[in-house]
Amino acid sequence: MSRLAPGAALDRFRPEGEQRHPRVRPEEAEVFVPPRFWVLVVLAIGAVLIQSTLLRPLSLRGAHISLVTVLLVWTGLRCGISTGGILGLIVGVVEDALGGGGANVLATTLVGFSAGLLNVRFFADSLPVFVSAVAGATVLRGIVTYLVSEVGLGVRGSFHRVSHELVWQVVLNAVVAAITLLVLRTMSNMRR
Amino acid sequence: MVAITSFWDERKLLVFVTLIILASVVMLVELDAARRSERSFSDQIVNTVIVPVEDVVTQTASAVAIEFHTLAHSGSMAAENTALERKVQQLAATNERLKERAAENMQLRRMLGLAQTMAVHTVAASVVGYAPEGSRREISIDRGWRDGVIRDAVVINGDGLVGHVIDAGAHDAHVLLVIDPSSNVPAYLRGTRTWGIVTGTWQHIRMKYIGQDVKVRFGDTVITGKGQIYPEGIVIGTVREVDRRDNALYQSAVIVPAVDFDGLTHVLVLKK
Repeated sequence: MSRLAPGAALDRFRPEGEQRHPRVRPEEAEVFVPPRFWVLVVLAIGAVLIQSTLLRPLSLRGAHISLVTVLLVWTGLRCGISTGGILGLIVGVVEDALGGGGANVLATTLVGFSAGLLNVRFFADSLPVFVSAVAGATVLRGIVTYLVSEVGLGVRGSFHRVSHELVWQVVLNAVVAAITLLVLRTMSNMRR
Repeated sequence: MVAITSFWDERKLLVFVTLIILASVVMLVELDAARRSERSFSDQIVNTVIVPVEDVVTQTASAVAIEFHTLAHSGSMAAENTALERKVQQLAATNERLKERAAENMQLRRMLGLAQTMAVHTVAASVVGYAPEGSRREISIDRGWRDGVIRDAVVINGDGLVGHVIDAGAHDAHVLLVIDPSSNVPAYLRGTRTWGIVTGTWQHIRMKYIGQDVKVRFGDTVITGKGQIYPEGIVIGTVREVDRRDNALYQSAVIVPAVDFDGLTHVLVLKK
């Protein structure tokens, strides 16, 4: 049985002098410092405000952009389950108070928590991971909100409308997520 | 088993259970308050803080939009101004004629001894925001119980029925739009005086429980009938489609609302 280390067979193709794992000096390494929690809360409330006022006229086949979902996924991926879940709980309370009748709080908490579960498994700055997570979170949120509305608020016969809007909301949120991450990356590069 | 333990370690499980319990409690409190058309404690706090900010954001955005519009159309302003001056003269003449007719109308009303159909006081309010997510069709307005806006007060605008107040704070209130599926309004077709119940379908309205023998025509106007909440005679919309099946007890009709719910800025609340 061969005792070679994994990947050692490829060493013969590597140019001379190049290391398999190039070392990064500590001062060059990018360390992500999570934002303070109150900053995230302010951002989340700002997102709710923008959604309920400025973004309201913008819709695609009845679906609206959910900045809150994008922010929750970003927070969960970057800061973990506790921060993501607690932020989801707070923002859900705010959304329900402004009009939702209790249909949002469970969904936002689950979205924040679920995104936090991905925190240790995936590279948070990866565009495909972030966009896929936002798409998945939008679907999760839509399903939970639909179930709570049906059971809790007694809204009947909305499956067709909800599913139709959900598809378009996934597209909208994914586009917003991609743009947001690219803007954040550019800003980070400019600061360096 | 190892994989499950490592994935759902104790800390994650504790956070998950705590958050779900908290979220469920908050959800139940909110649902209970929504069913009783009241405001929970958290609703009161959030609305007191956020609605004024929403108002400022909406007004600022509207002012900025007007400025942009003015800048974008400054070239054609002079020609438009001349045309408008001419139109103002025409409208002034029409207005005089209408005043005469109104006076005549008043005399006739007095003669016939007819009471005014809507002898109620109104409160003008601005729309400061919509529900952040699409789970309900609601708007927030900047008038509350201190201004005389109370629960179940009917809300209209120049085009017709908007909805009714579901909960009111001191300086703000939430209005459930008629396009929300949980809204039910007694209504009748103006042409045939046929009664039915108007329910929201998110984008449009559906008039249900119309008798099978009634001939519902395309374009018929639907107006509110007198009920527990709604007064009689407010326009709701016009018939766009009729759904009639031979084996059903009733027929229904799809109604196009008279009000543009995406462009609501100002409304009138009928005082109770």
